[in-house]
Amino acid sequence: MAAIELEGLTKRFGDVVAVDGLDLTVEEGEIFGFLGPNGAGKSTTIDILLDFIRPTGGTATVLGYDAQSDGLAVRNRIGVLPDAYHVYDRLTGRQHVEFAIEMKGVDEDPDALLERVRVADAADRKAGGYSKGMRQRLILAMALVGDPELLVLDEPSTGLDPNGAREMREIIRAENDRGTTVFFSSHIMEQVEAVCDRVAIIDDGHLVAVDTIDGLRDATEVGETLYVYVSALDDSVLERVRTLEGVGTAAIDDGRLRVTVDGVSKFAVLHAIDEITAVQDFSVVESSLEDLFVRYTNDRPEIES
Amino acid sequence: MTWATVAKKDFRDAVQSRALWALVGVFVVLSVLSTYAYVEAPALLGAATEATFGGLIFFTIGLVGLFVPLSAIVVCYKSLAGERELGSIKLLLSLPTTRGQVFVGKVVGRATVLAFGLGVGLVVGLGVGAALIGDLEAGALVVFVLTTLSFVAVYATIVVGLSATTGSTSRATTLALGFFVVFELLWDAIPMGILYVLEGFSIPSTMPDWLYPLLQLSPSAAYFSAVVALLPNLADAANAESAQSGAGAQTAADAADPFYTNPEIGIAILLLWLLVALAIGYYRFDASDL
Repeated sequence: MAAIELEGLTKRFGDVVAVDGLDLTVEEGEIFGFLGPNGAGKSTTIDILLDFIRPTGGTATVLGYDAQSDGLAVRNRIGVLPDAYHVYDRLTGRQHVEFAIEMKGVDEDPDALLERVRVADAADRKAGGYSKGMRQRLILAMALVGDPELLVLDEPSTGLDPNGAREMREIIRAENDRGTTVFFSSHIMEQVEAVCDRVAIIDDGHLVAVDTIDGLRDATEVGETLYVYVSALDDSVLERVRTLEGVGTAAIDDGRLRVTVDGVSKFAVLHAIDEITAVQDFSVVESSLEDLFVRYTNDRPEIES
Repeated sequence: MTWATVAKKDFRDAVQSRALWALVGVFVVLSVLSTYAYVEAPALLGAATEATFGGLIFFTIGLVGLFVPLSAIVVCYKSLAGERELGSIKLLLSLPTTRGQVFVGKVVGRATVLAFGLGVGLVVGLGVGAALIGDLEAGALVVFVLTTLSFVAVYATIVVGLSATTGSTSRATTLALGFFVVFELLWDAIPMGILYVLEGFSIPSTMPDWLYPLLQLSPSAAYFSAVVALLPNLADAANAESAQSGAGAQTAADAADPFYTNPEIGIAILLLWLLVALAIGYYRFDASDL
């Protein structure tokens, strides 16, 4: 059974299509990253999983239950860190966790949970006075109540400093080791890259890629990029460089030659360029998944739409 | 039953609101002052009638009839619209519960907060009155307080129900105040206006039967009738005073004869409001995108 299964999921707000025919399967036991720029439809999709909003078309199934007709069964089995939430300013951190424990009908120690997310020392303070990072941890503690089968985390690192983001990833991994499926959204590739087994990239309501991190790297032939300073640089030089063996793309970028290298050694390419025009200096940039993400979400050919 | 947990949390949260305690303070002061005025005024004016505890109860209805709607608006207008506007509703609804349970929990939580505040004010006010008059009708007091708390619950349901229909607090404020203006301030005039038009732009000498239940649609008028229905002996005895007591009593007095023939309709109308508010609030809340 899949942890999450979306079939043709569509949501329109008036004449704006937020999510357009999304098909996606998240397997049990994996850490799944849901990646896309702000406004791509990530939160809309998650809001449908939680039955905060109702789809215009298609279905969303969570742990075998329909998110719309069996919402209670879904929420009984999942832990959620929603997006754009707000804490109850006048209630303390402990009261928040106690509330979640009571709502889930389980018997757990609120202090142990607060300890786990490192806000135990602020347990008796009103949550209205918490920093953004502390609130995020508090809500994570609420999400962990009842040892859920699936964690749905919408932008979990929002408001966290690098240390906090790392601790968040550690908690995600630890939960996953206990058998919990984790589905989390982010607009930052780096966070997804660090923990995810598989990634879906969504842009403008469409799914543009679903793969493992390695699969994404392989599929997009982004190898390495050379930035080369040469003595003479004009269009004729560029044309000649483009025809060289092993050169993927070549362009003039900020007075330098930008060359992507496929299949052959960087040295061979540099050597070949040197024969056209003298190489003065060069640098190598290994393309990160960040570039890949940017490419998927920005460089889609206009003709497509 | 998660609604009870929601109600408890909501009570814990709302009971810490400064606005609520300011309201309770104002109500206690007003209630004591008006009680004092009721007890002392006849003596000062040299009136023949003595202040009685039953009279005091009917005198208090006017104050309650105005104060309950206003405090229900203050305590309840943000109950669901505010949570939606801020986003705390997402915390609530990502827990294993349903919108119906959350709605009921909110109604119960806010009604309890309101009943708690007004109950304190009422008991203090009537307690002072009883001490001044030197008389206390325990049975009547219990019936009156319970009826008033039911009225409080109905009003809390109405305002929470209105709040459930929208995700914007400014819209919730407009709806709640609009309800107050139409059904509390203008309601005497509206059925009369309808009658005036139907009768060919003149006021007939005898009021038609349908006018009376229509006038009772104002929840505070229905509340007054309900008290009359439940305490008929006191109502008869207090009849003379109720004419002087102003505000709340006035709406009912307008209805003249039919009013006393069938005051039970007040109970039915309060019940009707409760059901209508629950149905509309739930339907709109359950159907909306948060």
